[in-house]
Amino acid sequence: MKHLHLYLIALLAWNITQPAVAQGDRYTAAMQPHIRTVYTADTVPPLQNAVNALERIATAEKTRWEPYYYTSFGYVMMMNYENDKLQKDRYLDLASKALAHASALVPQESEVVALEGFILMMRVSIDPASRGQQYAGQATQTLARAVALNPENPRALALLAQMQYGMAQFFGSSTAEACANARSATEKFATFQPANPLAPQWGRSMAEKLQGTCKE
Amino acid sequence: MTMRLLFTPLLFIIMLPALAQTKLAGRVTDRQGQGIPLANVILAGTYDGATTDNEGAFSFETFETGTHKLVVKYVGYKDFEQEVVLAGRPVVLHAALEETINELDAVEITAGSFMASDESRRTVLKAIDIATTAGATADIAGALNTLPGTQKVGESGRLFVRGGDGNETKTFIDGMLVLDAYGPAAPNTPSRGRFLPFMFKGTSFSTGGYSAEYGQALSSALVLDSRDKAEMTRTDIGLLSVGGDVTHTQAWERGSVAGKLQYTNIRPYFGLINQEIDWRTPPASWEGVGAFRHEVGKTGMVKVYGNMSRTDFSLYEHDIDNPASRVAYALQNDYRYINAFYKDVLSERWTVRGGAAYTYQQNDSHAGTTATLETEKGVHAKTVFEGSLTDKVELKTGAEVLQRRYSQDIHTEGMPTAIRAFDETCIAVFTEADVYASNRFVTRAGARGEYNTLTGKTSVDPRLSMAYKTGNVGQVSLAYGIFRQTANNTWVRLNANLEAEKAEHYILNYQHVTGGRTFRVETYYKRYRDLVKYTGTTEPTQLNNTGRGSAQGVELFWRDNETVRGVDYWVSYSFLDTRRNYLNYPESAMPAFASRHNASLVVKYFIEPLKSQVGTTYSYTSGRPYNNPNKTSFNSERTPYYSDLSLNWSYLPKPYLIVYFSCTNVLGRDNIFGYTYSDTPTGDGFYNSRPVRQAAPRFLFVGIFLTLSKDKSVNQLPTL
Repeated sequence: MKHLHLYLIALLAWNITQPAVAQGDRYTAAMQPHIRTVYTADTVPPLQNAVNALERIATAEKTRWEPYYYTSFGYVMMMNYENDKLQKDRYLDLASKALAHASALVPQESEVVALEGFILMMRVSIDPASRGQQYAGQATQTLARAVALNPENPRALALLAQMQYGMAQFFGSSTAEACANARSATEKFATFQPANPLAPQWGRSMAEKLQGTCKE
Repeated sequence: MTMRLLFTPLLFIIMLPALAQTKLAGRVTDRQGQGIPLANVILAGTYDGATTDNEGAFSFETFETGTHKLVVKYVGYKDFEQEVVLAGRPVVLHAALEETINELDAVEITAGSFMASDESRRTVLKAIDIATTAGATADIAGALNTLPGTQKVGESGRLFVRGGDGNETKTFIDGMLVLDAYGPAAPNTPSRGRFLPFMFKGTSFSTGGYSAEYGQALSSALVLDSRDKAEMTRTDIGLLSVGGDVTHTQAWERGSVAGKLQYTNIRPYFGLINQEIDWRTPPASWEGVGAFRHEVGKTGMVKVYGNMSRTDFSLYEHDIDNPASRVAYALQNDYRYINAFYKDVLSERWTVRGGAAYTYQQNDSHAGTTATLETEKGVHAKTVFEGSLTDKVELKTGAEVLQRRYSQDIHTEGMPTAIRAFDETCIAVFTEADVYASNRFVTRAGARGEYNTLTGKTSVDPRLSMAYKTGNVGQVSLAYGIFRQTANNTWVRLNANLEAEKAEHYILNYQHVTGGRTFRVETYYKRYRDLVKYTGTTEPTQLNNTGRGSAQGVELFWRDNETVRGVDYWVSYSFLDTRRNYLNYPESAMPAFASRHNASLVVKYFIEPLKSQVGTTYSYTSGRPYNNPNKTSFNSERTPYYSDLSLNWSYLPKPYLIVYFSCTNVLGRDNIFGYTYSDTPTGDGFYNSRPVRQAAPRFLFVGIFLTLSKDKSVNQLPTL
């Protein structure tokens, strides 16, 4: 479980494919630059700036889950650039709070459930020794639920694989299941077509990196 | 050219809406005028707005017109709202945000208090820390004994806090009193707590100045919060060098039930390792534990916990003057404890919790030709309401009843049975308010009123504490309170009219926390009044409440789990200066359970390639007083210092399997806790003595813990 903090670094090697979809409506146009920022910014101020803008969109568009989703994601990124453990937890609290709005709107959305699992993984990473027991099981269960909701969601599968890999390494047990999931996630990423320009697109490099580790 | 001329008016028309843009600018600050960066300025219902810069300034333009609401949001502050009219004229405004009192930023009263919790993030210890402290052998009191404020009393195993004896610390489970939280032990051998550390999600150990909610404790309150519902169905099996246990947990969506059966038998172990005690039959015990949890409604939770056990042992006590002459002593202890707890949320601002606990304990002992049957039954019922009066005032108020029935029947062959018994009912009400001036400063004021049928008296005891944040990482807190406790059963059974004993605490604390490092220093003064005093040595007579005493000291604590990767350690040191004139002391003296210097070093190291956690604990206690009747001055002699180096090792070869090994006093030091003297002098007027030693130089423990569940990644780490 101690490896968890390394996952984020793997995650951050983004390779976002810019979809060739024309910027259609005003909502999509307003969202896109901020989504790009939460994927690419590596300090707190631009991330907070983007999250603030996303929050403004959220208050105007009361039925859209994406602004909350990326707000939550933005806070997870801020957590990653923070060293103080207490402050890290605060960012994760904000991430959970924002994501709760998204899950209220689309409770069965695999992407939202996958991010929820990711937040739990990050909770473990802050203090693996004392939180592993409490959150590791919860994180695995949540990610498994995200996969069940949409078996074609490569992110849910990649995160689950990452979690399983970490647990297997910690206990020195077989990584076969984790690696099979990593391979499957990589394959799904290769053919994955985002449903719309606002659909989540992160996690591919994490899956590929994990698969690479599996092969060694 | 023509085209251009033609287009200009057209362009002008197209540009027109741009002229209706309104510029909004201003500054966001806190109430002290300090700019707040990164605050979100939102024109409600639109995409428009801005994020404040480093000085808290913002500026944006909008095409919206008419009356709108402008909202400013920033974490830790209340939302600021203001109507703005957008009509092309620039709008300038200043938003002074009011901070909210919130758990993460608010100052915390830490005077006299050590918290171990997995839920709260600012605690000094986690539940797992208690379980994995070497030398503590997974005993709560054993682990807390490595914290400042405690004095190690090796032959007792109980918590002795700041010059108080072991009875002055009371244990509460989910707020409900436990009458005897320790298992029975042979004379001069340490007893273990009856409750395992991982039953609890939070442990609050107070070494003084605690909440008005807790009474009938002179020195310390150990408050344990039990875990909520279990998450999954599982079976745990433990094979120990001294017995075994099996636990089954059945979980469903809204609740769980767990049952545990444990058998402990030290007999085979004692056969292997030389013992200081002349056992006839070493201790063996059966214990059954049941826990039921159920969620009620949307927010309610019912918890029922029950524990019953039977322990017996017998040994020979040898005469000091003539070691060949021995008397058999046998004890059978029966214990039952049941605790039912309920909590629910009444409204957005108020919660209620309450419960009832019943303790039954019987000691059936035989010494020579005398049989003693000691029985104590107690019922405790309590209800507490907690809520917020305003954003800055939190109130806790409640009532409780404690009823006890104690009896001791002594039967000696050829003599009439002597019965000593008493009943006590104690009714208490308490109320306490936390008043926050800001996130930096809090005052907690409260009082506890008690009526006790033994004395027929009503009392009101004040409690007061304050905390002030001196910066981002440091805070100062102080606490004051008056505490009372009915005198020990040993004395009340002889004289039921004894007054309650009283203690007054004054505590000053400074705490500094940065990341994984914690530094604490605390100083205190404690005054005892109305302690029991009597005359006589074997048969106490003239019992009264004229005893007095005091304790003062300084304590240090340092914990660091950041500097060296994988290493977590803490150091604690306590200095204690205490004197009492109580019981049959001829003069004011340092009591035999007290020690001037106590120090502990606890180190835990996680070795990932070995899938192991190893830990070591070193404890030092300076010499304790004992009374040598051959000397004229009372309690003037000192034992040698006490020291112990313990090791433990947990190995996780498989996710569902743990192998655990621990050894106390690795160096095998012959610790002496005191001396017992013969009641009568020899012919030349000299009293013979015998040292009180450890039962065995080392205690070795090996355990294998196996968990069977659907999810094979679960293990018993939490229960170790």
